[in-house]
Amino acid sequence: MDKKPRPHLVAGGELPLGGDSLAGLMRAVLEKGKPFRFEARGTSMHPSIRDGDAVTVSPLSGAGPTTGDVVAFVHPGTGGVRVHRVVKAGAGKYVVKGDNALGPDGAVPRDMILGLVVRVERGGRVRRLGPAFRSAALARLSRSFWFTRLLRRARRTFARREGRA
Amino acid sequence: MSDKIHLERVYGPSDDVVVREIEGEIVIVPLASGIGDIEDELYTLNETGQAIWNRIDGSRPLAEVIRELAADYDAPDGLIAGDVVGLLQELLERRMIVEKG
Repeated sequence: MDKKPRPHLVAGGELPLGGDSLAGLMRAVLEKGKPFRFEARGTSMHPSIRDGDAVTVSPLSGAGPTTGDVVAFVHPGTGGVRVHRVVKAGAGKYVVKGDNALGPDGAVPRDMILGLVVRVERGGRVRRLGPAFRSAALARLSRSFWFTRLLRRARRTFARREGRA
Repeated sequence: MSDKIHLERVYGPSDDVVVREIEGEIVIVPLASGIGDIEDELYTLNETGQAIWNRIDGSRPLAEVIRELAADYDAPDGLIAGDVVGLLQELLERRMIVEKG
């Protein structure tokens, strides 16, 4: 070991955590009954969850998620971890969709659902917590393509008004 | 619990950590704070640290682990022991390993 660098432990740093490696790490933590916290990337859940928000995912209860819950899951197509809303809960399968996404991710089997989003932090402040984050009404609206279009139109209108002010 | 490393004792990973090998790196997530947090609470080991970690499996006394490493790396036991004890001391303080048996 004289030709080797001294062993050491490195906190944090850049890690190749994407796709199945993040899913594996999250699943391992949740299986121990502990919550898992990570930084959300992307805009598919805007405005509920924004790029850079810290999201805490808790293990699922036996009953599984219900319509309106926001869940972390392994995307059936890409294998990556996504955080989207359950818009329809069926027999062992869940249709999930980002609030700001045009279409659903498809039917996700129960074993691909990693956990339930219970907390969102933005700028050091907790934005959502527990059952209050669940929104069945938003889930129903989110199933509609028009809802996304309306949201985007409303956002553009608001931005224009803000620009004029 | 003693917070000093003893060569005749057996050490292994704590139940309060999740350890995964990701693209050749060992990633340790401590759960002692009640949460696995990749933002603030995630650790990796360098190559030498990995060689030690892989042998700290709760199956044999630390002195035996040191002898194995000394043979593998063709280095004096004393030199290896310094490195191993230094790393294990840090791991023990962070509750990533525990005494077994």
